[in-house]
Amino acid sequence: METRITDEYQRVSEEGYDTECEKVANMLDMVIDGEASTEEQVYFNNHLEKCVSCFESHQKQKLLKGLVSGHLKRVIVPESLALSIKAKIQETL
Amino acid sequence: MSEQTGKQMSKEEKDARFEAELLPVLDPLYNFAYRLTLDEDDANDLVQETYLKAYRFFDYFEQGTNAKAWLFRILKNSFINEFRKKSKQPAKVDYSEVEGYYNSEDVEGESGVASTTDMRTESVQDLIGDEVASALNTLPVDFRTVIILCDLEGFTYEEMAKILDIPIGTVRSRLHRARNSLKEKLEKYAKSMGYNS
Repeated sequence: METRITDEYQRVSEEGYDTECEKVANMLDMVIDGEASTEEQVYFNNHLEKCVSCFESHQKQKLLKGLVSGHLKRVIVPESLALSIKAKIQETL
Repeated sequence: MSEQTGKQMSKEEKDARFEAELLPVLDPLYNFAYRLTLDEDDANDLVQETYLKAYRFFDYFEQGTNAKAWLFRILKNSFINEFRKKSKQPAKVDYSEVEGYYNSEDVEGESGVASTTDMRTESVQDLIGDEVASALNTLPVDFRTVIILCDLEGFTYEEMAKILDIPIGTVRSRLHRARNSLKEKLEKYAKSMGYNS
């Protein structure tokens, strides 16, 4: 029995990505880091509205970035450091 | 006056300008040095060396350019050269030991189980911070670097490319791999604490 599959069903999307999800996954870091263009951002947001798994990946990646930016403690600079830099510079000609 | 270049300035003027423009970066620079070396004394030395180098080349520094990115670049290069020279590896925190510690606390401290469930308490916040730091410290230094530059210091990909002297595409892929690696380590920890991610 012959099965006919039309070209439309077999078409691989442009730009070398097999699926929209792959394309969106590739944009994920750029979106989170504020590096995506407006068009990329729009494409990304539209996809997330219809894809739960990409929506979840986005949430997880945002959480990860937040863990570093919000929870990693900053170390306190020793008070003597600025003074010793100034002193060394004054000695330097 | 404002048009004057470093070469024409008196030493007093040069020193004053140097302090005003570059010393405000001391805090992030020291933090970066500490996260690279994982040692307070090494961080101290690295930051001093960075400022001395910057002072030597301050005549070539153009006012209004990105002082922070410039200092970060000098520090990163000093770190690479220093560690190559000494052929010494940065102090490593043994992640499995830290992990083991939390796991054994979990098993042995059956009486105090409820204490960690309130995410708002300060100690839990501290615990998360410590765990993020431990996980980050176990990453290879190149991975650690991009995460710190991006997530802690907020540099753009373009600035990171300049600091690290690599193409933007490499910044992107390195950051992606670094985050995957960090995620893996933190997920292990989350599971050991009973969170299912």
